[in-house]
Amino acid sequence: MAGAFDFTAAVPLLPFAAFLIALLVGHFAPRLLPKGGAIPGILATAGSLLLSAWLALTVSQGTYHTETIYTWVVGQNTFDLHFGVLVDPLSAMMLVIVSLVAFLVHVFSLGYMNDEGETGLPRYYAGLGLFTFSMLAFVVADNLLMAFMFFELVGLCSYLLIGFHFREAGPPSAAKKAFLVTRFGDYFFLIGVVGVLATFGTSRFLAVSEGVESFPHLAEQALLAAQGEGATPEHVAGFLDVVGFEPQTWFAILGLLILGGVIGKSAQFPLHTWLPDAMEGPTPVSALIHAATMVAAGVYLVARMYGFYALLPTVLAIIALVGGFTALFAATMGVVKDELKQVLAYSTISQYGYMMLGLGAGGYIAATFHLMTHAFFKALLFLGAGSVIIAMHHNEDMWDMGGLKEKMPVTYYTFLSGSLALAGIVPFAGFWSKDEVLYEALIYGSGESPILLAGYAMGLLAVFFTGFYTFRMVFLTFHGDARTDTAESPHGVGWNVKFPLVVLGVLAATVGLINMTPVAKLTGEHIEFLKDWLAGPQGSAYANIGYEHYHHLLVDFAGYGANESLGVLVPAAVSLGLALAGAGLAWRLYSVPEPVEHTEKLGGIKTVLYNNYYQDEYQVWLAEGVTLPLARAADTFDQGIIDGVVNGVSSVSLFAGGRIKRIQDGIVTHYAALLTLSLVALLVAFGLLGGWF
Amino acid sequence: MAVAVEYYLLLSAAVFCTGVFGILTRENALMFLISVELMLNSANINLVAFSHFYGNATGQVFSLFVIALAAAEVAVGLGIILVLYRNFDDVDVTNATTMRW
Repeated sequence: MAGAFDFTAAVPLLPFAAFLIALLVGHFAPRLLPKGGAIPGILATAGSLLLSAWLALTVSQGTYHTETIYTWVVGQNTFDLHFGVLVDPLSAMMLVIVSLVAFLVHVFSLGYMNDEGETGLPRYYAGLGLFTFSMLAFVVADNLLMAFMFFELVGLCSYLLIGFHFREAGPPSAAKKAFLVTRFGDYFFLIGVVGVLATFGTSRFLAVSEGVESFPHLAEQALLAAQGEGATPEHVAGFLDVVGFEPQTWFAILGLLILGGVIGKSAQFPLHTWLPDAMEGPTPVSALIHAATMVAAGVYLVARMYGFYALLPTVLAIIALVGGFTALFAATMGVVKDELKQVLAYSTISQYGYMMLGLGAGGYIAATFHLMTHAFFKALLFLGAGSVIIAMHHNEDMWDMGGLKEKMPVTYYTFLSGSLALAGIVPFAGFWSKDEVLYEALIYGSGESPILLAGYAMGLLAVFFTGFYTFRMVFLTFHGDARTDTAESPHGVGWNVKFPLVVLGVLAATVGLINMTPVAKLTGEHIEFLKDWLAGPQGSAYANIGYEHYHHLLVDFAGYGANESLGVLVPAAVSLGLALAGAGLAWRLYSVPEPVEHTEKLGGIKTVLYNNYYQDEYQVWLAEGVTLPLARAADTFDQGIIDGVVNGVSSVSLFAGGRIKRIQDGIVTHYAALLTLSLVALLVAFGLLGGWF
Repeated sequence: MAVAVEYYLLLSAAVFCTGVFGILTRENALMFLISVELMLNSANINLVAFSHFYGNATGQVFSLFVIALAAAEVAVGLGIILVLYRNFDDVDVTNATTMRW
């Protein structure tokens, strides 16, 4: 009987088919393509969504699946390279999220792109289809190399879609920036992939059958051997001899290299600068790529190979600190932004910082939970912003809005739901997940790993700023009096805008209920469904990618110990209180009929914040002031010294040849004389050496 | 009474050197051809002399082949000389200097 797993490959391939249709039909027979390619895209993503849901249902019954689809390099006496799928609770959950958001974004695009009379729609829908394909394939990848390939494709699609309006000045430049900055991180990722393949001879995340190994498991064995239990796997031992590092050090280097790609893609400090610029792309693209899915790829990758990271306390601490710092850093920049999408962009960076903090702090469940809730509420907020932008005739400045609450109630209430989730107000989704991230950081930080407390402190402070900028955005956009004529009589939006908003609005309000850890701890009820979902089966090979196993690794290898004496109420109350304080401050300042800017009160900080802490400036300086002269010097060395030697050798031959050719004068007598004389000379030489005389 | 083999060799060397001298000093292509004949025949003298010395007829048979080969070579050489004359109105080899760099 054909089960859900037989159709695993169809989940990514359906959007790929939509991509091909939009591209080919759009190019050769545009008349045949209804709605500029939206219909095939919607059907394909709906199909993917149904298949993903079926997969998730099958997985929920405890049957997982891994399969090698195609081996594209067969190694002789070494490893193979292959495409394969791995369907486990984590990837099934992510498949549902990605295909759901992609489906809703396709529907929303009908309202945002088609109804607004945009041109070049087949190109747009082809980009969306290719993006959905790459992201879904990345999610089901069963090995690191395949994940890397689709990671890159996702980056390419981001480039194509950000630069969709390529005739304007901003988008192409933003697209290039996004591509280059993420490429910079991916470069380290590539080296990491090669390092993993060289060290372990495999890049699989999970091994289930005999004779197959997975790299997190091999790393675990090697570290156990270093502690004096068992033997280091042969291949790993051989490679460690070559590099001459202790296993712990070398694995940490590999982990950091891969983390480079994660930091680039998930827009963590210092490679976050591309994301705010990426808002030049069409708003549905921002929702799909720069909030809900592509940026999630980085965090998802860490979660996917958590069995490897959980072995490395140093790397975990770095992840936690980078995450905590990014969460705070981006939140402060979001406070002063005037444009709706810019606020959301910085909040995205900040929220991904929370996920990294959660992963680094050993909160695998918490981070995954936040990944899921964030995907819903941030897609919702971006689509809500898109709806506002349609209504405002593509003006994004919040100071030109105001009073939209009565005119577009559906958008307002769904946006409010998303904002409450983002700010972390109980009982909306973001509260449960963000609180859990902070709680994990707190208990492990006050337990055995005090460094996590720094991450916790930054994350906690960011909660206040999050509450503030979120409600500043809500009040400026929807409350008060209309400040311009456009806001007075906004453009209406159709069902295709409202439908995705309502679906996501309901999800943003309710999806947090699947893992109410504080309530579970207080009441003793068994309601942590996500935790059960990700716990992993006991006693099968799939247990190696379950939460239980990761928890053992964290305790045994990373030395994580929880401080169980802390209650759940006080930390939750503190973070909720801070969020409410931020929201309350925003209410005081901006919930008035005629709000004014209060940024002047910040004094000198205002300039720094408006300039995003001069991050772009120093990175441009790094490129122009350091890299460019270095490259020039290298170029001079190459042209002068390396090429000089080669050219010198050839000019010597040329000169010598030019002189020697003159003896070939065309007079046959001279040739004969030369022959004879040479023979005589040769004979004399032989005679002298041979001792004839 | 047999002549000693050394004298044949001396004769052969003298004829060969005459041929070489002719090639190096003459400018007329016909003289070239004649000089080359001299050199070939000096080789023939050697072949016959050693053949006689060892009492073996192989060398003499070989010299017959060389004579046939020389005839063929003269045919080719005369052809070249004809072309030379047609192109340069002369058989002076020092004039034909176009076949160079």
